[in-house]
Amino acid sequence: MALIEQLQRRVVEMGLVPKIIALLPLVSMMCAMISSLWLAILPIEGQFRRTYISENALMPSQAYSYFRETEWNILRGYRSQIEHFDTISNTERNKQMTEWLRDFGAKTAIYNDDEFGDSLYGILHAERGDGTEAILLAVPWHNAEGEFNVGGASLGISLSKFFSRWPVWSKNIIVVFSENPDVALRSWVQAYHTSLDLTGGSIEAAIVLDYPGSNDYFDHVEISYGGLNGELPNLDLVNIAVSITEHEGVQVSLHGIEPGFINDESYWSRLKILVRGIFNNAFAGLESLHGNEAFSGWRIQSVTLKAHGKEGGNNDITTFGRIPEAMFRSINNLLEKFHQSYFFYMLVAPRYFVSISSYLPATVVLSASFALASLNSLLNNQYNTLSFFSHYNLMAVLFWLISMLLSFIFSQLFLYVPSMSLLVIFILAMVMIPLAAGRLWTITEPLSYRLQMYAFFYMSLVITSLMMVNFALAFVIGILAFPMTVVGTQRNLTLKKCVLLVISNPLVSFFLIKPHPQLLQKLIFAWQQLGCWSWFVLCLGWLPSWILVALSACSGTQFHTVGTTKKEQ
Amino acid sequence: MLLEEKYAVVSCIVIRLIVSLLFPSLQAQLDKSVELSTPMSSYRSLTEGIFLLRNGFPLYHGGVVHHPPLLVAFMSLFEPQCLVALLYALTDGLISYQLMCMARCFPGLEMPSWLPGALYALNPLALLSCVSQSSVIFANAFTSTAILCALKGNLLSFATALGIASYLSPYQSLLLIPSLYVLSRENNQRTKAALAVLSVFIVLLQLSSAVTGGSWEFLQATYWSQMNFEKLFPNLGLWWYFFIEMFDMFIPFFKAAFNLFVISFILPFSIRFQRQPFYALVLCIGWITLTKPYPTLGDAGFFFSFLPFFKPLFGYMRCPLLSVLLCIHAIILSPIFYHLWVDLGSGNSNFFYAISLVYALALGFVLIDLCWSMLRIEFDGGRPNYNLKFTPTNPKPFLGELVNKPIVVTLKFNKTQYKGNLISTDNYFNLQLSEAEEVVDGKNKGKVGDIFIRCNNVLWIGEDLSAKEQHQQKPTTSDDTPTTTD
Repeated sequence: MALIEQLQRRVVEMGLVPKIIALLPLVSMMCAMISSLWLAILPIEGQFRRTYISENALMPSQAYSYFRETEWNILRGYRSQIEHFDTISNTERNKQMTEWLRDFGAKTAIYNDDEFGDSLYGILHAERGDGTEAILLAVPWHNAEGEFNVGGASLGISLSKFFSRWPVWSKNIIVVFSENPDVALRSWVQAYHTSLDLTGGSIEAAIVLDYPGSNDYFDHVEISYGGLNGELPNLDLVNIAVSITEHEGVQVSLHGIEPGFINDESYWSRLKILVRGIFNNAFAGLESLHGNEAFSGWRIQSVTLKAHGKEGGNNDITTFGRIPEAMFRSINNLLEKFHQSYFFYMLVAPRYFVSISSYLPATVVLSASFALASLNSLLNNQYNTLSFFSHYNLMAVLFWLISMLLSFIFSQLFLYVPSMSLLVIFILAMVMIPLAAGRLWTITEPLSYRLQMYAFFYMSLVITSLMMVNFALAFVIGILAFPMTVVGTQRNLTLKKCVLLVISNPLVSFFLIKPHPQLLQKLIFAWQQLGCWSWFVLCLGWLPSWILVALSACSGTQFHTVGTTKKEQ
Repeated sequence: MLLEEKYAVVSCIVIRLIVSLLFPSLQAQLDKSVELSTPMSSYRSLTEGIFLLRNGFPLYHGGVVHHPPLLVAFMSLFEPQCLVALLYALTDGLISYQLMCMARCFPGLEMPSWLPGALYALNPLALLSCVSQSSVIFANAFTSTAILCALKGNLLSFATALGIASYLSPYQSLLLIPSLYVLSRENNQRTKAALAVLSVFIVLLQLSSAVTGGSWEFLQATYWSQMNFEKLFPNLGLWWYFFIEMFDMFIPFFKAAFNLFVISFILPFSIRFQRQPFYALVLCIGWITLTKPYPTLGDAGFFFSFLPFFKPLFGYMRCPLLSVLLCIHAIILSPIFYHLWVDLGSGNSNFFYAISLVYALALGFVLIDLCWSMLRIEFDGGRPNYNLKFTPTNPKPFLGELVNKPIVVTLKFNKTQYKGNLISTDNYFNLQLSEAEEVVDGKNKGKVGDIFIRCNNVLWIGEDLSAKEQHQQKPTTSDDTPTTTD
């Protein structure tokens, strides 16, 4: 404490305080730059760590895997039938599957979902367990790209048959066949925890199989792990998935990046994985889901295994089956929930990761840059002596409340009327705000400074509160919204600042990043069906601040009169 | 009652009623948040108590109810939910009204009397606490009544109010000590007040015993379980984390230590600031909020609503921005970290405890800042002098700068000062002055010409600012330097 006081005294003595205050805009911008540079530094050698299995009980690939040639015939048999399932209805498919599952003693039930399609699930009760915990194998009939998941379904049924013959299980095994990997699976997960009669205990981990086509051979496996709302499965689960896959001699790809590129072990490949990871996480729910996202929010660790490369691969389909087999064996060993390893991490390669302590400063600095911008609007003008209870300050608070209310109405409106054309009209109207300012209404200069102060402070708070829950979204929003802070207040808005203002509008900038004609519907859909709150973060977190900045960007010409009345006071 | 005051009270009640009635599910949600409700104050357990009481079951056997029996009996009179919401809103309105009455007791504050009431009406913490229907609001209402009555010198109602407040929340009884200093010394008022509070408290206990069928079990369930921290629930306080993993034999020791910690600062605050007893009271409220076993944001909201009374001190505060930022961040992040820990399972208890420590830090900063500002304004004799600095100066360069300038030398004895031009000084800080004047006890005794002052007689030396600005007599305190050399 004494040291801090000494330092503070020195700073005051050297007259640095006014200098620092004058430099606040620059410091704020520096902070934003440091924040982005921070992420660029993470893939440099020495900044990341090699992954390790933290939970000793997992012991991946320590036991011999038996899903081999003998099972191949069974698998082919099922596959020859399933190949024709593409043309028949979901009900008939489920009926046939139910029969097969019952053949080897699984209890089955069908979850009826008129909206997204029925899901069939079967439970193999553990012989050695108390039946309170379960491991889940999910097979969507159609994968994220809409292909019919022939290999996945055949693997699902033949693996279940294979598992049913084994006495080693200490956790129930649940196998789910859902219509698709997103809404149907998610609504099944929801129903499992709320309404279904046949249950098998709390699901510890879930593995989603995606093997489209009836080819015998494949090239490599893509592991998807990012969940909705910034959730990630425990790093241990990802680690065993990677280590088992590589143990089987199959190469791993992440975020759709080819293994060849990953195996370079170059800075650029790591950076690419990192950036893709951030983007996929930030925009989760807007892209089609892989399947593992469906388990987010229920304390279930999940990954999706997807087979890539129909032609020219030299790994056969039983190799792909041995990956979930070995993972099940590993998870089966667990005595506790997954808790040992990291929940907050970012992968820069299948075997390299960055932990939260290394990457969190990026958003902390970003949030600080908004806070400094807010401080700048408070201190760096002649109105800094206005008291807290001054008219302008109270007006600014009122404006903030109104903009919050408007944003809330805006967000609710589109939940009921998800029309893109209406959105375009709204966006155009919003873009008009700064242009109309000065003509239709005038905002006095002290008020405009206060408005910006609250806008940036609110933005900083939003980023801070998001950064632990959803780091990627917090970071992306912070960077995209940053142009707001350099707009400033002036009497005549230059074109450059106008552009800055427009591109920092939440919806415009989201559209620029993810140009998709159905973006609005996707955002709304992600909220309503998947429970993904990006839409509300945009509307309630970012939009109010933007409205305030847009209103204050062009402050009124009453500057002189205000200045004199203030002096008189 | 001024028009603005009426507006403040009415808006306070209306806002709370509207929020409660517009969002009927909000109450249950807020009641589940650990920030606003604890096992000792939650509405959930209160309704459980009401149910038990109505059906003639023993109140405290289940270990769920920790509210005092009279409160449960009183609340059981209110049947429909909207009536309960109205009761809570009215109680908050009463607090807001009393804050304004207190403001009228301090005309010197230059603050409109409606301001504290209006701020209380808009205080989000008080609002949320009221909507969550946590029972801390009743203890707060009786505390504010007690403070108001003490300020007005109304002995009997003071004793009743404080007695009830202590009955509702045992740590409130500590406020007796600072509030005694508010009362005047004449005809044993303080002794009478203390005895009256005690007797009110005892009468209430007797009544409670009668309500619960003559048993004294409630003492164990209400007060002892609070002081003994029997319900190990996470909250914003400092206690819970310590007792999660501790060897059994140490637990009683640490519980005693924590209780002593709550009590320890009450007496020092009261004695040191006995000439500003109202402020001592507020500091004590803040201290109890910080250190008691089951604090909620409602307590903090109550404490913050007294901050407008410190208006003249705001200029002295050294880190108001930091405390405000810490406070806002802690309050926003604590539910998020709790969600990460309990709902998602990706965080853990350390996250939540860390953020509750940030909250404690914010409260601590506010308390420290208030103490410092009160000491400063006392030093400045009640008139704020924000420019006065206490930075230590190096004596030698300081004296070097003063050569050939008019200076004041104050001696250690006889209240004697010499004013004159400093001609030279040496390594012992002996001083040679020319054209010196002698001033004893503020009276000019005439010129003494060239003099030499031996270093060991000097109390302090400063630049003679009165010689600089002839027309204005200014105190020469701006550069107090300890340049004595013994």
